[in-house]
Amino acid sequence: MKPHVKKLDRQCDHTDAPSILKDIFNRAIFKDIIKGLSVTLKYNVSPVITLNYPDKEKWIPTARYRGVHTLNRDEEGRELCVACELCVKACPTGCITVVPEEDDTGRGIADRVAKIWTVNLVRCMFCGYCEDACPTTAVRLGRDYELACRDMSCAVLNRDQLLQKPEIPEDFEGGTRVSARMKKMRGGIKVIPDINKKRDNWW
Amino acid sequence: MTELTNILPSMATVLQVIMIAVKCVIIAGIVMNLPIILVWLERKVAGHIQQRPGPMRIGPHGLLQSVADGIKLIFKEDIIPSKADKIVFIIAPVIALIPAMTVFVTIPFGDSIMIPYINQEVTLYIADFNVAILFILAVGGISVYGFMLGGWASNSKYALLGSIRAAAQMISYEVAFSFAAIGVVMMTNSLSLVDIVHAQDGWFTNWNILYLPVGPVWFCIFFVAALAELNRIPFDMSEDEGSLAAGYQVEYSGMKFSLFALAEYSAMVSISVLCVIFFFGGWNAPIPGIPIVPPVLWLIGKTFVFIYFFMVIRFTLPRYRYDQLMTIGWKVLIPLSLVMILITGLMRILL
Amino acid sequence: MLIEYILFIIFAVIAIMSSLCVVTLRNPVHCAGYLIVTLLQVAALFLLCRSPFLAVVQVFIYVGAVLVLFLFVVLLIDVKKASMEIFKPKHRPLAYGVLAILLIETLVVIFVGGLEKIRLAAPGAEVKVETIGRELFTSYIFPFEIVSVVLLVAMVGAIVMAIDRRG
Repeated sequence: MKPHVKKLDRQCDHTDAPSILKDIFNRAIFKDIIKGLSVTLKYNVSPVITLNYPDKEKWIPTARYRGVHTLNRDEEGRELCVACELCVKACPTGCITVVPEEDDTGRGIADRVAKIWTVNLVRCMFCGYCEDACPTTAVRLGRDYELACRDMSCAVLNRDQLLQKPEIPEDFEGGTRVSARMKKMRGGIKVIPDINKKRDNWW
Repeated sequence: MTELTNILPSMATVLQVIMIAVKCVIIAGIVMNLPIILVWLERKVAGHIQQRPGPMRIGPHGLLQSVADGIKLIFKEDIIPSKADKIVFIIAPVIALIPAMTVFVTIPFGDSIMIPYINQEVTLYIADFNVAILFILAVGGISVYGFMLGGWASNSKYALLGSIRAAAQMISYEVAFSFAAIGVVMMTNSLSLVDIVHAQDGWFTNWNILYLPVGPVWFCIFFVAALAELNRIPFDMSEDEGSLAAGYQVEYSGMKFSLFALAEYSAMVSISVLCVIFFFGGWNAPIPGIPIVPPVLWLIGKTFVFIYFFMVIRFTLPRYRYDQLMTIGWKVLIPLSLVMILITGLMRILL
Repeated sequence: MLIEYILFIIFAVIAIMSSLCVVTLRNPVHCAGYLIVTLLQVAALFLLCRSPFLAVVQVFIYVGAVLVLFLFVVLLIDVKKASMEIFKPKHRPLAYGVLAILLIETLVVIFVGGLEKIRLAAPGAEVKVETIGRELFTSYIFPFEIVSVVLLVAMVGAIVMAIDRRG
């Protein structure tokens, strides 16, 4: 046997007789293996820490999470957006398109409202500059992060889609996992959270 | 007419043959389908040890996951490497599977039972050889050919290295494994598995594991050698995915691959049953006079404890290095078992 | 008894066929495979002679251990090169001579050796392992020990050959 192989084989550095005997005894009763087995058996009965997404659970991010944009209304249901196009100017990727129009029927809080307000989610990098730039807090980045779909139709969201009420209310404190159910649709899969049923966080 | 009756077997023989055939079919059916549950169980055990749930999607708690996997494997394209030895490549998985199944011929699942209505006494084993232990060792030795020929026929370096490792490991540990079996024979005075179980009748203190002081040592030798014979972690050098991709089965796909997996799981079941029969009293209850639980269930329950133990070990221990594997086999297990044979023999003579 | 004759013929024919394959095939791995088949058939013949112990030991030793080592070496051979190799013509007379001696030996055993005096054990009366063990260690102790010594010598020789001479 070559010397360097021998060195690898030596697993204990003890040289005195009692510690060698102790080492042999420990190996004879499989001390290390039993130690390892006790660890794995302990973990075997400890609770599972996996987030059961998308089947039964979903992670709700905190309020400052930057997901898909929402266009908001005030308490009377009027659109907050005044089509000032500041968000367009602030946007680094140029993914927002706003075309203003005049409307004095009370649809918006001012006479000027957005005729077209689209965001191209393929280009958007969710930096949140648009909500910083918005003078009326009309555009907010919401908490929806399920963006995958089967064609490009969901890549561009228009004003009507953005104006819909978000499924998680603004004042809901996130950072938790909640029960959810998976819904299979033609366009893809949505996981609909039930925010009243909070699950324990394992940490 | 008399000549015809001389040539033709008698009615009792025919009935016996039919009975054996029925038993074979039942046991084969169970053993062939057991891997479906065992694969699921193994993945569940792996998952829960790592604090994740394991398969959950198909069926309740993922129970049908391995059925789905099996269907997938059946419909997969069956690839044969272009320069492979086609016949050997196709036969090898079958050679691996047959010995693993054949072992079950000798395994007694219980004593005889009366079948109601036809008033026929049926033994819960196919054959009670008087050389059953030797038969098991012999057949277990054949199973390595499947791995060896499969690895060679794939015409791939990884596969060949895997099969060479499998052969070397099998030969090294076959010796210790056989010695452990000899130890059991010496403790129970019989080569027949039925007699071995009957020698452990009564209280659990009669079990071979409690044949102090040699019983536990024999069990350790048997168990370690069995782990190596099974090619399971920590001794799965022949399919070491870190250094050999998947060893001898690297070129296999589809049904042939699943035959290898089937062989491995059947071998695991048979080794677990053998552990129970050799050392843990077979179908005997630990305390006599528990009539509610039938003996077969005792055997199955104990077997599942061992299967679970094999699985936990798989996800606990790291793989040994190849030279460590050989050291354990030749320098520890074989000398130890020789010494134990001496001690056991002295105990048999003097006590 | 008819079934036994049929089984005997099946096993014997397969054994002879596969042993012919062992010597005629070119691919050494295939040869080893056929050798396994031959040995298994011989084990089956032992079983027909109501000697399960011998059958099982045949499988255990020859198929389970010896041929694994055989195959272990054969696997490392370059099969293409090995199958192209031809025996040299000058070695052929020697081979024929050995073959003739073996043939004569077999014929002598068959016709003069008194094979017809050997009777099979009666059905159901299997040879017990205990009997074999007792016979080996009493009546046949001397040949048994000689065989053991021969094996020991072979083992020592193998170890001596395997020792690294560089120290």
